[in-house]
Amino acid sequence: MFGEPIQALNNALSGMINTLRSDAQALDSLWISIVTFDREVRELAPLTELVHFQLPEITCPQSGPTNTGKGLELIHQKVKSEVRKGSENQKGDWKPLFFLFTDGKPSDIQLYREMLPKIKALNFAAIVGCAAGHLADDSMLKELTDNVVHLDTADTATLKQFFKWVSDTIEQGNKSMGTVESLPLPPPPAEVHLVI
Amino acid sequence: MLTVRKARKEMEPKQYLKLFLATRKPTGEDKQALLEEFCSQEQYLDAASRILALQDMLMKDFEKKNRIEDIRRQQVLIPNGTVGKPYEARLLPEQYGWQDMIAFRLEGVEITGLVYDPASGQLSGIPEQAGDHKLSLKYQLEGDGATGTWQERLLTLIINPDPRSLWKNRPSDKEDPYWKEDEITIAEKLGNKYLAVSSKRGRSHANTGGFRDDDFAFRYFSENGWSIVAVSDGAGSARFAREGARLACSAVVEFLGQQLMAGAFAEMDTLLTNAGAALDAEAQKKISHIVYHQLGGAAQHAFRQLEQLATTSGALLNDFHATLIFTLVKQYSQGYALLSFGVGDCPIALLYNDLQSVSLMNKMDVGEFGGGTRFITLPEIFQSDSFAGRFGFKWVPDFNYLFLMTDGVYDPKFEVEANLEKPERWQAFLADLKGNNAENTAVALKPGNADLPAQLSAWMDFWSPGNHDDRTLAILF
Repeated sequence: MFGEPIQALNNALSGMINTLRSDAQALDSLWISIVTFDREVRELAPLTELVHFQLPEITCPQSGPTNTGKGLELIHQKVKSEVRKGSENQKGDWKPLFFLFTDGKPSDIQLYREMLPKIKALNFAAIVGCAAGHLADDSMLKELTDNVVHLDTADTATLKQFFKWVSDTIEQGNKSMGTVESLPLPPPPAEVHLVI
Repeated sequence: MLTVRKARKEMEPKQYLKLFLATRKPTGEDKQALLEEFCSQEQYLDAASRILALQDMLMKDFEKKNRIEDIRRQQVLIPNGTVGKPYEARLLPEQYGWQDMIAFRLEGVEITGLVYDPASGQLSGIPEQAGDHKLSLKYQLEGDGATGTWQERLLTLIINPDPRSLWKNRPSDKEDPYWKEDEITIAEKLGNKYLAVSSKRGRSHANTGGFRDDDFAFRYFSENGWSIVAVSDGAGSARFAREGARLACSAVVEFLGQQLMAGAFAEMDTLLTNAGAALDAEAQKKISHIVYHQLGGAAQHAFRQLEQLATTSGALLNDFHATLIFTLVKQYSQGYALLSFGVGDCPIALLYNDLQSVSLMNKMDVGEFGGGTRFITLPEIFQSDSFAGRFGFKWVPDFNYLFLMTDGVYDPKFEVEANLEKPERWQAFLADLKGNNAENTAVALKPGNADLPAQLSAWMDFWSPGNHDDRTLAILF
C-alpha cells in the first residue's frame, strides 16, 4: 500500500483516534498499540494509554513481501508480555481486541498458519480481519477469524466509515461477559462487506 | 558537509580557473605557458571569484533549505495534556538537535491556555481547550538574522478533553418492557438491624441511555425472625441482563420466604437457639447441610425462573446473564447466624469483632481478564465440583457491618480480591463512607438517620477513572 491509499489510511486512523478521544469510556481506559508488517515487522506504537497516545505516520514500501506471519508472531509476544492478567493481587485488563488490516496476502504462509492457533489461544474479545482492495485475500484472513470484512477500495470515505466501525467495536469492548465468550460486533457500515 | 565547504572556500580563483579549463579544454604540455598567462589576468581571476561566490551562495541556500526540510520532517513528540489538569513540559530546540537555531519563538500557545517561557523552555499551565492544537515554532538559522526572515515548524500539541465533561446523562427508555429506575436508595429497619441500600445506573450506561443492570431485593420475615438481602449485577454484554438481575434477586427472596414458612429452617433454630460461642462439629455439619440444600435450592430456583423467562420471552438464557449474591441473617439469644451464597464477582463481607475481623462470605469468580466472571444463568455452575464452595456460614456474637456490593463499588474501592480480606481496607472503606474522600461526601450510618438515603446516594457518585459501571451497595448494621 502506498501513495493515496496509505495517505487515506493515515487520515482515517487519525480520525479514529480523535473519535475515541472524545469517548468518555475510551479516554479513561483504552490502550492502543500498532504493529506494521511488510518486509519488516515493526512495533510502530508500543502499547500506550489513549490519553498519552500520539499517532505515528504509517509508511509502506512500494513492493516486497507481506510478512503477516511475522506480524502475528510479534503481536503474540506483545500480548503475552503486556496484557495484564487478573489475579488475587492484580486487576486484569479487559480482553484485548485485535484488528488486522491488509491489502495483500501473507508471503510467509507457513509461519502464518503456525501462528493461527497461538493467536486464537490468546482469547481476544474479538479478532477482526480487514481486507482492503482487490489484491487482499479474504480466505487467508478467514483462517484467522470469522470476522472478516472487505473494503472494495481504500479511499478516504470508505476508510473513514471503516474506522468509525472499528471505534464502535472498541467502545463495546469493556463489558462484563462470561469467561469464554467473545464480543458481538456492531453491524458494519454499507461500504464494508462482511465476508461470509 | 562542513569539510567540503571548507575545502571549497580555500580554493583560489586561479586554481579554480586552471581546473575549469583543464576539464573543459585539455591542453598539451606545450601550451602551459599560455594557460598560465590566461589564468593570471585580472579580468579572468575576477570572473572566477564571482563564480566561486555564486556557487558558495547556491550551496549555502540549498543546505539551508535542506536543513529546514529536515527540521520539518523530524518527529517531535510533545506530551499530551488534558483539560483542567496541570500541564508541564520542556520544549527547547536543543532537545531535538536544533542547536543551529540562532533565535526562536513559539506561537499559538495562547489558545490552549498554556504559557511558554522561552528562557527555560517550560510549557506549562492548565489546558483549557481540547483538540489537536497546531503550535508554530518560528526560528532563524544562520543568515536569517540579517534579512529578518523567520522559518516555521508546526508542532502538534494534543489536549484531551476532561473525561468528566464527556459523560452524558441520557434517560433510559421507559417504554422498554424491562425498564427500571436509574436509581433506588432505601434506608430502613430490617429485623433488629438497619439496612441502607443504594443501586445506581453507572455513567457508562447513562452515557448511552442504557439501563441499570444491577438490582437488589431484601425482606424481613417477622414470622420467624430471618432477614434476607440479595444483590445482582447483570452482565453488560447481555441484552436483558437488567431483568435477569431483578428476577434472580426476587426469585431467591420469594423462594426462601416460602421455605422459611414451610419450616425448612426449624432444625437450624433448634441447633442455634441455645448454642454457645462455639458450635460442635455435629451441629456445624447439620447446619452446612441446611445451608447447602436451602440456599442451593434458592439458587436453582432462580436459575429455573430465568430459564422459564427465556423460554416464554423467546430470548436466550444468555440474554439474562447476571451474577447473584445473597445472605440470610437471624439473631439468636447468643449471637447472629449468617448464611450466604454467591456466584460472580460481587463480594459479601462481614465486619465483626469491633471492626478487627473480616470474613469474605463467598467465593469470587474473577477471570483473568476484566469483566470475565460467572453467572447464575450458567447451568455448569450447578454441576461443577466447586458448587459446594459457593456457600458461607458464620456464627458470631454480634457484627458491625454486613456488606453486599457489585463490582461497580468493589473494583474502585478494593481493586483486587486479596484486599477484601484485609480489615484495614474495610476500615478505610468505612472512613471513606464517613467522608474521607475527594468529594467530601459523608454518610452517617446511624439507624433512623432521615438523611441517610440522600447521603448514600450522593456518596455513590464518587469519581474513579475507568470505573463507571452500575453500582450497588447494601449495608446491614
